Amino acid sequence: MAETINLKRIERKAYTSYHQDGLLDVFAGVFILSVGLWLILDMVWMSWILWFVAVSAYAAAKRVFTIPRIGFVKFAPHRVKALVAIAVMVFSLFALLGVVAFMQVLGGGTPIWLLSAIENRMLVIGVSVAASFYVVGYTFRIRRLYAYALLTLIIFVTGHFLYFPLYYYVILLGTLILLFGLTMLIRFVRRYPVSATDTMGGGGSDEQ
Amino acid sequence: MTSNEANEGEVPSFSEIDKTIHEPARLMIMANLFVVESADFLFLQRQTGLTWGNLSSHLSKLENAGYVAIEKEFLDKKPHTTLHLTDKGRTAFQEYRESMKQVFEDLPE
Repeated sequence: MAETINLKRIERKAYTSYHQDGLLDVFAGVFILSVGLWLILDMVWMSWILWFVAVSAYAAAKRVFTIPRIGFVKFAPHRVKALVAIAVMVFSLFALLGVVAFMQVLGGGTPIWLLSAIENRMLVIGVSVAASFYVVGYTFRIRRLYAYALLTLIIFVTGHFLYFPLYYYVILLGTLILLFGLTMLIRFVRRYPVSATDTMGGGGSDEQ
Repeated sequence: MTSNEANEGEVPSFSEIDKTIHEPARLMIMANLFVVESADFLFLQRQTGLTWGNLSSHLSKLENAGYVAIEKEFLDKKPHTTLHLTDKGRTAFQEYRESMKQVFEDLPE
């Protein structure tokens, strides 16, 4: 009986079920792909505008694809709060590094650590993106994001030694995640038809 | 009789186990609702694998016990049921977990 009440497993199943539609992958793929395309045009800031559009579109896509098929669930807010706290910490760290670098440049000369980070930007970007996938995957119990973290590391570490432009690797990563997401979405739509019956339950009177 | 002898003579108190929760289907429902803030009927049905009638019936019992709150509404002219554990339900589930743990710990090897 104790084994049947494995709440961690039940929680993970709930998270996995709700994110098995592939929409998260599709939107992450599109976002990364767009970053790569904007890099070619040297307008990478445009991808942040797309980010805000994507967040609203994600919620709408959930309403269209997911909720009519597997229902709606509202998860306890503690995991989102933890993720926001981590994001704020990371953003603060990068902002602090930016200020320190700016001050040092103003003081005369670019600091060595900044030159080193620019020189090894493939590794820095690869580790940052992989860490993001890992943290989100861990927070929301989505194990395939660990695979994306590994994929990101492989692509960017390889890129560090190949010397192709950055956008090649960004576009490659975005395309692979997008394709995987689309495959998942198609499988999800086929597996779960829209519920024909109403979802009004509870309040029955028959005895079990 | 020493207190140790008295303790050895005690049997696990199965009578204290909440029978409303102890039924496997209701236990599954309670556990699924315990790990989320709220869920709708369809999601719970997918998670538990129970049939519409079965789930509906068990939910009624849990609602009557005051463990589950059921909110019915119409969204885009379609009926929709949202479910969540009440404070009483959360407490009862925690107590159930503790009492089950106690029962198994008390059993001899």
